[in-house]
Amino acid sequence: MKLIKYITFFLLVLNSMSVFAQAEFVPKSGKNFPMRLLTIEPGIGLNPMPISDLVVSNVLQWNISKRFSAISYTSYAYNNVFLRKFNFITTDYNYSLNQKFGVGVSIYSKHSMHTFSLLAGIKYDSYQETLDNPDIEKVSMSVKSLSPDAGLMYNLKKGRKKYFFSFRMYIPLYPYPIANSSEWSLDGNMANVTLEFGVGIRLK
Amino acid sequence: MKKLIPLLLILAFASCKKEEFSTSLTKSFSIQSVTNGANYTIKVALPDNYNPDRQKYATVYVLDGEEIFDFVAVNCKKISNELSTTNILVVSIGYGNDRAVDYTPSKATEGKGGADKFMQFIKQKLIPKMESDYGADTLRKNRIILGHSFGGLAAAYAFTNYNNVFGNYIILSPSIWYDNEIVLKLEKQNRTLNNNNHQLVFIGLGGLENMGRMLAPFEAFFQCLKNNYSDILITHHLEAHLDHRGSENPNILMGLNFYFSKR
Repeated sequence: MKLIKYITFFLLVLNSMSVFAQAEFVPKSGKNFPMRLLTIEPGIGLNPMPISDLVVSNVLQWNISKRFSAISYTSYAYNNVFLRKFNFITTDYNYSLNQKFGVGVSIYSKHSMHTFSLLAGIKYDSYQETLDNPDIEKVSMSVKSLSPDAGLMYNLKKGRKKYFFSFRMYIPLYPYPIANSSEWSLDGNMANVTLEFGVGIRLK
Repeated sequence: MKKLIPLLLILAFASCKKEEFSTSLTKSFSIQSVTNGANYTIKVALPDNYNPDRQKYATVYVLDGEEIFDFVAVNCKKISNELSTTNILVVSIGYGNDRAVDYTPSKATEGKGGADKFMQFIKQKLIPKMESDYGADTLRKNRIILGHSFGGLAAAYAFTNYNNVFGNYIILSPSIWYDNEIVLKLEKQNRTLNNNNHQLVFIGLGGLENMGRMLAPFEAFFQCLKNNYSDILITHHLEAHLDHRGSENPNILMGLNFYFSKR
């Protein structure tokens, strides 16, 4: 029930964005950012809070109309880059795979396109640590976790030709408030905020 | 439409209101530690139909009490009702010192090593006051310590060095990595002394605590306790999909359920 409440809320927000877009950003034909039917936008990025994970990602955006689009987001994250050995604890591996689909609303200005989207999908995390302290028996443990993921993404496209610059920011809505209503679980959201930069290519 | 968005946001956040324990059943007082000189604010959640003249109560000592007291107190009441068992006294220990002082067993980069003095305070001042003024049971088996993160480290330290004080441990996302896993060394040193006591231990972690320091020491601590203590009732739990802070409340619930159903 809670989940339905939050999804309804964010759909309302998205809907309101489209209303503003239609009211305030009426495109002028010929001079504005061109509409593309299908784009692919590979990029690299990081989770900035804290800066510990490196992300390689791709966005596929199909513009159903000038305003609305269907979006696929895929990423691989190499987690915990800077702390793989600590106090006799070794991180043997630590990565995440992410696949999300969603819908977006776009607004246009002269040289850029702004897309706000609601994405949902799955995230697979896998990591293993080994404690090898000479005073203690050696212990290894691994975790493999498949979890839902949902969030809001802002995507800025800049450049009017076949190739363009793409900047993306992803704000997770998981685990807070979807899975856990405790404000402490916001830490989990913050850790998965992603900033990405890439080059987009118009396919159609 | 523009005016509607802040309203919707307010409604969304209002629906996530924090659980609060009844103020009429909450007592508080301040107490100064002789060992470290700090002044601690203590809050006590009393059970329904509280009557210390007729009954002695098991007591949970909650570290980081200023943050989690209400959540623990509300859920102790709820779980004990669900299981039709007597509720316990919930004792919140506020911050007399920084938690990096009171909850750390040795001096290292991340902490000052004041846990021994803090435990002395609990043992010599707080517990006697709870027993004399609030009807807390005097038996070790009716004392619980609950802590998360550095608080979990302090609870693990209580297991290794103050095992005669507490019989039950709810240890959540403990910082066992602290000072090259010093708690694991202390456990080994004091194993013979502690091995004759009955122990009830719950240790929990978030499944996504993948910062390169939590998982392997957590498992090592669990294995040490499970394999080396003859009279121990122990379980461990990884709270799926949640990280260090996010797993705190779900693991508190798991720990309390474990205690109330197995005590």
